[in-house]
Amino acid sequence: MSTGKAMDKPLVVRFKKPSLLSRIFLLDLFRGLAVTLREQFNPHTTVEYPRERIDLKPRFRGVPRLRNHPEHGEDLCIGCNQCAMACPDNCITVVAEARPEGAKIKAKRAKAFIIDYERCCLCGLCVDPCPTEPITAIYMSHDFELAHYSRERFVTPAAELYEGHETVVYEK
Amino acid sequence: MTDTLVNWGLIPFLKIALLLNVILGVVAYLTLLERKVIAFMQVRLGPRRVGPHGLLQPIADVLKLMIKEDIVPAKSDHLIFALAPAITLAPAIIAFAVIPFSGTPAPLTLFGHTWSITPWVTDINVALLYLLAVSSIGVFGIVLGGWASNSKYPLLGALRSAAQMVSYEVPLGLSVVGVLILAGTASLTGIVQAQERAGIWFFGPQIVGLFLYFVAGVAETNRAPFDLAEAETELVAGFHTEYTGMKFAVFFLAEYMNMIVVAAIVTTLFFGGWLPITFGLGWVIPALPGILSLQFLGPWGMFFAGIFWFSLKCFFVLFMYLWLRATYPRYRYDQLMRIGWKVLIPLALGNVVVTAIALTVYRSLKG
Amino acid sequence: MFQTTEMEINLGPQHPSTHGVLRVLLKVDGERILESKPVIGYLHRGCEKLGETRPMPQVVVYTDRMDYVAAFAGNLTYIEAVERLIGLEAPPRAKYMRVVLAELQRIASHLLWLGTHALDIGAMSVFLYCFREREMILDLFEGYCGARLTLNAVRIGGQLNDFPDGWVDEARRFLNAFPKQVEEYETLLSQNRIWIERTRGVGVISAEEAIDWGLSGPPLRGSGVAWDIRKSNPYAAYADLSFDVPVGENGDTYDRYLVRMEEMRQARRLALEALDKMPGGDVRAKVPKRLKPPAGAEVYHATESPRGEMGVYLKSDGSETAYRCRFRSPSFVNLQALPALVKGHLIADIVTLIGSIDIVLGCVDR
Repeated sequence: MSTGKAMDKPLVVRFKKPSLLSRIFLLDLFRGLAVTLREQFNPHTTVEYPRERIDLKPRFRGVPRLRNHPEHGEDLCIGCNQCAMACPDNCITVVAEARPEGAKIKAKRAKAFIIDYERCCLCGLCVDPCPTEPITAIYMSHDFELAHYSRERFVTPAAELYEGHETVVYEK
Repeated sequence: MTDTLVNWGLIPFLKIALLLNVILGVVAYLTLLERKVIAFMQVRLGPRRVGPHGLLQPIADVLKLMIKEDIVPAKSDHLIFALAPAITLAPAIIAFAVIPFSGTPAPLTLFGHTWSITPWVTDINVALLYLLAVSSIGVFGIVLGGWASNSKYPLLGALRSAAQMVSYEVPLGLSVVGVLILAGTASLTGIVQAQERAGIWFFGPQIVGLFLYFVAGVAETNRAPFDLAEAETELVAGFHTEYTGMKFAVFFLAEYMNMIVVAAIVTTLFFGGWLPITFGLGWVIPALPGILSLQFLGPWGMFFAGIFWFSLKCFFVLFMYLWLRATYPRYRYDQLMRIGWKVLIPLALGNVVVTAIALTVYRSLKG
Repeated sequence: MFQTTEMEINLGPQHPSTHGVLRVLLKVDGERILESKPVIGYLHRGCEKLGETRPMPQVVVYTDRMDYVAAFAGNLTYIEAVERLIGLEAPPRAKYMRVVLAELQRIASHLLWLGTHALDIGAMSVFLYCFREREMILDLFEGYCGARLTLNAVRIGGQLNDFPDGWVDEARRFLNAFPKQVEEYETLLSQNRIWIERTRGVGVISAEEAIDWGLSGPPLRGSGVAWDIRKSNPYAAYADLSFDVPVGENGDTYDRYLVRMEEMRQARRLALEALDKMPGGDVRAKVPKRLKPPAGAEVYHATESPRGEMGVYLKSDGSETAYRCRFRSPSFVNLQALPALVKGHLIADIVTLIGSIDIVLGCVDR
C-alpha cells in the first residue's frame, strides 16, 4: 500500500458575495423563480406504476429461479450445493439424486430444491459459483412483485422454480 | 317597507349565502391547484387517481376529514380548544363582505319590481380599515389554539406564529397608505374607480407598496418562505398538531381563505380590481376597455366581465403564492423577525414619504 | 423579573428530518438550544457480528446495507481489505472500473444529500430535481450489476462482469450532461439570500476542533483541513488519475455545501478520465476456491466514501471467516460532533446541522 504523492494544492471553495445590484433588486430570488418556472414546462418524470412500467435492464436481479437446458430441455441443476453454500442467508436447500438412464446431462440432478424467499436478499451470490454449461442453472429472474397473503407461500419448491410460480403482474 | 326589507335583508342574505358557497368551493379546489402546480414545477404529476386528473381529490379530502375521529387531548381546555378554529376562520370569511367583485350594479326585474344587484355585499367608505382590523383578529385563533392544546410543540408553534403575525401587521398596514394617498379614499370600489380614472393601475407607481404588501401578506398567512410555524420538518405541525378531523379542516380552510383574501386585496388595490387587462392599449384604442368589459351586452355583461377579470387577476396572485412555495427555502425565526421590523417597516415608511412628496409635486406642476 | 424555564424536547426517532431513526434529546431555553444528546441504536443489526460468523466472500452483502446511500463505497472498502489480507491484487481494468463506479456512487450520494438537506431547510423543488438525476445514475447501476441500491457490485479479486454493451456510452452521456444540472441547483441555492442566511455562520467547526473530533470527509475539508484518502493513501486506480480536492475556509454549513457541490464536479471529472484511460484485459484475478488468509494477519483499510473515511479492520485466524471484523463508519464518528455544533443555535438549526454533517443511520448503527 503506497502512500501517494503529497497533497498538492487543494482547491479552496469560497463564498461569492452577491453584488449590491443583485441584493437590492432581488436578482437572486428572480433567478430561482425562473428555474422553477422553466421546470414547469419540462415533461414529468413520473412513471404511473402499475399502469405504466419501465423496462428492466437485462442484468436486473429479481428472485432466483432455475432453468432448463436451452436445447434439449432437461433441468440443468446438477445438485452440487455450491449455491447453498454461497448464500449468506442460508435460504437454499438442495437434495441431489442420480438422473435416469439416457439423460443427456451426465451428472446428478436436484431431487428437491427449495428457496425460502422470505430470507433471500436478492444479492446474486448464488449465481456466481454455479458450474453448469452453457448457462447457469440458477439465475436471477426479473420477477420482483412478490407480495403474498401467507408466509408458507414464500418457501418455494423446485417445481415452481422451474415453471416459475405465476409471475404476478400487478394491475392496479 | 318591503323595499327596505328586501334591499337590506333578503338580497344581502342571498348574496352572502351564494358567496359563502362559492368561496368554500374555490378554497377546496385551491388545495388541488396548489398540489398540481407545485407538482408540475417539480417535474411530477399531482393527484391523478381520484377522478379524472384528480378533480375529485378535494371532495375526497373533505369527506376524509369529516369522518375522522375527533381526538381532544385530555388535559386541554375543551371550550377554547373547540372555539379556536372558529375564531381563525371567521375573520377570513367576513373579510369578503367588502370586496368588490365587479364594477357595475345590474338590474334584476322580478314580480314587477326592479332591484339593483350590486356585485359586492356592502360598500363602506372605510373598507380598507375594516380589512386591516379583521385580519388582526385572526391571530387570536392561532394563539388560543396552540395554548389550549396544552402540549409543547403546539405551544412553541403558536407563540412563534403569533409574534410573526403581529409584527407583520405593521408593514401590512403601512404599505397600503401609499395607495390611500393616490386614491384619496379608503373605500375599495373608490380605489378601483380611481385607477380607472387615472388610466394606470397602482402597481406602476406603487411597485414598492405592492412588493411590501405581498411579502407581508405571505408572512401573515404563514406561507413559504415564512412558514416556520407549520414547518413539518421542524416542529411536526406547529399550532395545529393536536387538532384532528373537522377542526383541522377548519384551520386548513382558514389558511387558504386568508390567502384568497390577500390575493383579492392585492388585485383590488394594485391591479385594478375588475378592470379589464389591456396591456396599456387602452391609451391607444379608447374603445378597448369597453369592449373587453362586455359593455355591448349591457349591465349584466359588464357584471360578469368584471367578475371574470377579477378572478383572472386573483388567480395570478395565487399562482405567485404557489410559485414562492415551490422555490424558496424557509426563513429562520429570528431572521424573519429581523426582516419584518428592520427591512419592511423602514421601506414602508419611506414609500409613504416618497409617494406623498411625489404626488404633491405632480399636483403643483399640473397647476 | 420573569424567569424562563428550560424545556426538554424530544426530536423523536420518527421525525420527518432526522435522516433515519435518530433521536435527539434537546434542552431548550425558548428557542436557544442549551444541550443536546443524540440517542442512536434504533437501526443496529449486528453487522460486525455477522461479519464474524459468515465467510468473507459473503459479508459483502452486509456492507451494502450499512451505508445504504453509498453502497458501493462500503462494498469497495470491504473487498479491498480482504484482498489486502490474502495478498491478492485486482487487475488494472478492474481497478479503473472500480474508480468509475465509485465516483458515480459519490455523485449519487451527494445528490441525495443535497436533496434532503434542501428539503429540510424548505426548498422543496431541489429534492425532486436531484432525484431525477439520481435516477439516471441508479439506472446505470442497474444496467451494470442488476440492483439499484444494494449493489453487491464488487467481488474479491476484481469485478464479476465487465460493462455491458452500450453502458460506457450511456455513462458518458450522463456525465457530459451533468454540469448543467449542477448549475441549476447552484442557481436555486448558492446565491439565494434565504439559503445564505440559513447556512452561513451556522455550525462552525474550526480546523483544530475538526481534527480533535476525528471528523473526516466534507465536514473535515469544509473546515480547511486538506485531507483526502484518495490522495494520501490511494487505492484502486486513484494514484494515476488527477483531480482537485475542494477545501473550505470557515467550516460553516455553507462551506460544507460548497465542498460537496465541488466534489460532485470533481467526481464527474474523475469518472470521465477513468473511462478514457481504461485499460483492456480481464476483470478478475484468479481467486482460490477457498480463501486462505495467513493466520494472525490483520489489516485496516480505509477509503474515502462520500461521507468520510470508511474503514474496515479484519483480523484472521487462518479460516475463511474473519476472527474480528470491525467497520469504522464515518457517520458514527461525525455524529459525535453534533452536540458541540448545535450548542447555542436555534431549534431551526438542528435539522440544518444534522443534514450538513450528512449522516446515514444505517452507517451510524450498523
